[in-house]
Amino acid sequence: MRGAGMGAKAIRYSPWVMHFNAGACNGCDIEVLAALTPFFDPERLGVKLAPNPRHADVIIVTGALNKKAAERLRRLYDQTPSPKFVIACGACAISGGVFTDSYPVISRADKVVPVDVYVPGCPPRPEAIIYGIKKLLDKLGGHLESSAR
Amino acid sequence: MSLVLGNFSFTEVSPRRYVITVAQSELRGVVEAVVKEESYLSSISAVDLPKDGKIELNYIFWSVKHKAALVIKVLVNRENPVVPSISDIVPGATKSEVETYDLMGVVFEGNKNLRRGFMVPEDVVAKGVYPLRKDSGV
Amino acid sequence: MVIVEIPIGPQHPALHEPIMLKVKTDGEEVVEVAVTTGYNHRGIEKLLEKNSWIRGMYIAGRVCGICNAVHTQTYVQGVEKLMGVEPTPRANYIRTMVMELERIHSHMLICAVMAEIVGFDTLFMLMMRDRERVMYLKELITGSRVHADIHVLGGVKRDVDEVRRARILDELRKIEERLKYYKKVYESDYTLIRRLSEVGRISKSDAIRLSVVGPTLRASGVKSDVRFDDPYAAYSEIPFNVEYRDEGDSWARMMVRLDEALESVNIVRYTVEKLPQGPAVPKTIPRAAKPGEVISRVEAPRGELLYHIVSTGGSNPYRVKIRTPSFLNILNTESTYLGHRLADVPVIFASYDPCISCTERVVVVDEKSGRKAYVSLKELARGG
Repeated sequence: MRGAGMGAKAIRYSPWVMHFNAGACNGCDIEVLAALTPFFDPERLGVKLAPNPRHADVIIVTGALNKKAAERLRRLYDQTPSPKFVIACGACAISGGVFTDSYPVISRADKVVPVDVYVPGCPPRPEAIIYGIKKLLDKLGGHLESSAR
Repeated sequence: MSLVLGNFSFTEVSPRRYVITVAQSELRGVVEAVVKEESYLSSISAVDLPKDGKIELNYIFWSVKHKAALVIKVLVNRENPVVPSISDIVPGATKSEVETYDLMGVVFEGNKNLRRGFMVPEDVVAKGVYPLRKDSGV
Repeated sequence: MVIVEIPIGPQHPALHEPIMLKVKTDGEEVVEVAVTTGYNHRGIEKLLEKNSWIRGMYIAGRVCGICNAVHTQTYVQGVEKLMGVEPTPRANYIRTMVMELERIHSHMLICAVMAEIVGFDTLFMLMMRDRERVMYLKELITGSRVHADIHVLGGVKRDVDEVRRARILDELRKIEERLKYYKKVYESDYTLIRRLSEVGRISKSDAIRLSVVGPTLRASGVKSDVRFDDPYAAYSEIPFNVEYRDEGDSWARMMVRLDEALESVNIVRYTVEKLPQGPAVPKTIPRAAKPGEVISRVEAPRGELLYHIVSTGGSNPYRVKIRTPSFLNILNTESTYLGHRLADVPVIFASYDPCISCTERVVVVDEKSGRKAYVSLKELARGG
């Protein structure tokens, strides 16, 4: 995993998440939004929504990667300070979903930016998205198991 | 059943759907008559007919007064598809015309906003094809 | 005075009409707004031509995740007309139930986002919490929180049994109570009224001229609702009111949505209580359509949704034209921003319900130095 080192350890209790819609149908987006509200309460894992790529540690990418939006995604990724991680959320960001063969889409997030965690589903449930974030944090050096108590 | 607006007679094809086919020169006249009936432009739908060498434009209006969809059909030449713009009569048509130009290549004469790349990605624009045409190959 | 251009977006696209608002300001005053699109174009119309009628149902649902059932409904009712099949009454009622639940959650979402944009975060969080009840109901009926995919040609995919009916009625009571409370908040809260009223006004004649639809049109005093004027599914049998207001400003648009959500609660209750007997799931599914064309209209949460489907027979559509309500509502309203302050731009934009989630950002470009700074839409709304 890129950037896994001292810096990566620093974010494992407080990853700030930025969400980027790269040509999604909004299904994943409302679930990401729902996942970040108190009903599912990701703040117990230190997860907070960052409005700005320069504050973000984790980028959640949704959608089938429209060509215009893919350029934007690359730019946002470059603007995000290291250590940075990417979660591909939903079937479209993973494989293109129903839009795979369409002319304006690239249809895979990992063709544009390196992806660390894939969350499948159309759309994934908020619990699945939080589970994906948790998986990432676990990879960064153990999260709840060692520190929650 | 038919609905007569000015000099134009719309034919009812199914409940609350009225259709008229006009020549290009009459288009603006019909639109002016339709707009007087509290109508808003729902959509401009273009259908590619490569066998006939034509593109069929459907101007779909919804009349709040008559509670009916009024469809104006215009056939344009596929090789040189040019129709007069109606964006000065119906300001709401501007963006629909831009979309139709971008996807189907119909030129709306008098609409200053027409440009490629409104929706279509740049590599398709560079090839000079209109994605929704049957022979675009995208 | 230097005129500064501020691009807003393209972080959050609405439906397949993605947005970048290029706002030119003279000091605080907005002098020009231009909308740039193309960030979310997925070539769906072409994709529908390439796929069969049945696959098209699922692609149509994925035009928009927030209002997926209405997209499927519009496509399916058009295709059903071309194929000459009629859904059973029970199937129609279940379809209506799902579509109305969708309207409630969509309206709650935008009212929540609007509260967040004006800086009322508590209301945002509360509304999102109560919105989960609606999502739960959608899951109970369709099996999925977001993409319902409950339609099949000639019926629905699964039936609603007695146990579920009781639970739906129980949850509806709680949802209605909360919605009434939120309506009271929007009606009486000083901050919300000051931020929303007199902002982004559209007069009745302008609304028709600009071809806006849905709650935006109804908030300008035009009583036009597809469910009422051009009934589909079970709406011709269900009593309901068309909510409209005369003010035409952002506040009126939000109030129309809250009133509609309350009305939708009644519609869902009616469909659950009066659910007709009989089969809902068809035994066979037709695969080929007759030649012809059909204009299919449905009232989506954001307004009139229109599909123009052309068939030349066979297993695939010849042409499907999709016109979503946000296409008209967002692209045709560039003029309504003029003369307002920069901080009002997000408020007006959100009042057209472009389904913004909370990550859109703004790039501030100082034209002289070319310096770029990122500001969130929320900070902008607070005068940041």
